[in-house]
Amino acid sequence: MARMKFLCDADRCIECNACVTACKNEHEVPWGINRRRVVTINDGRPGERSISMACMHCTDAPCQAVCPVDCFYTTPDHVVLHSKDLCIGCGYCFYACPFGAPQYPRVGNFGSRGKMDKCTFCSGGPEPDGSEAEYVKYGANRLAEGKLPLCAEMCSTKSLLAGDGDIIAAIYKARVEKRGYGSGAWGWSTAYHETIEV
Amino acid sequence: MAKAQRGMSRRGLLKGLSSGTLALGAAAAAVAPEPAEAYDPGPTEMRGRYRETDHVKAYYRVNGYETLKK
Repeated sequence: MARMKFLCDADRCIECNACVTACKNEHEVPWGINRRRVVTINDGRPGERSISMACMHCTDAPCQAVCPVDCFYTTPDHVVLHSKDLCIGCGYCFYACPFGAPQYPRVGNFGSRGKMDKCTFCSGGPEPDGSEAEYVKYGANRLAEGKLPLCAEMCSTKSLLAGDGDIIAAIYKARVEKRGYGSGAWGWSTAYHETIEV
Repeated sequence: MAKAQRGMSRRGLLKGLSSGTLALGAAAAAVAPEPAEAYDPGPTEMRGRYRETDHVKAYYRVNGYETLKK
């Protein structure tokens, strides 16, 4: 069974934020919530790098571990989803997640109203595929349509990869081998005993 | 006599308040929400949705254009 993964090639990301916009538009994500965002380090200085971040769909997901009502579940595609019917909006998952993936609508205090919202890897939720209820709560279900997450599909520089972990890892590995430098080229630091500079 | 009537009306007010509280409690109990119940996804919704369709294959091919084309 394929394991769904995101992989962002930081050497290619140009911080255009098209992935963020595509996600918000495709799923009609409420105001104040970003399921995906672009993080930039060394902004404006040599070595600047941007990376597109969302839920990483962890194998041993911390959000799943801390949820007091146990509303998270992992699909056979290894996508971490949650049920908004069960969620009480306590915000524990937001604090537990190292990527800040689960977001809370900015309409009140934690637990007072609202449900947590997170990236679904464009695979909807527990409701029937393609139903109105599913779209309203979780957004589009592109995986059921035989497609991949829109953020990755429309990345103009082909930086954001999504899909079967084995296949996208092979694509990224081949890219790095071809470049032969920087951004974690296999064996670079071992061979040269120095930090990577571009 | 007037003093006694005032006393009675005060008691009436308290009686009215207590009965009103009871009525409010009953009304609240009548509209109390039922315990939340999660939607049961069932085995069909828990199946894997990913399929390697032509669309997905095209995505892999395009993204690996510089390395996977042979």
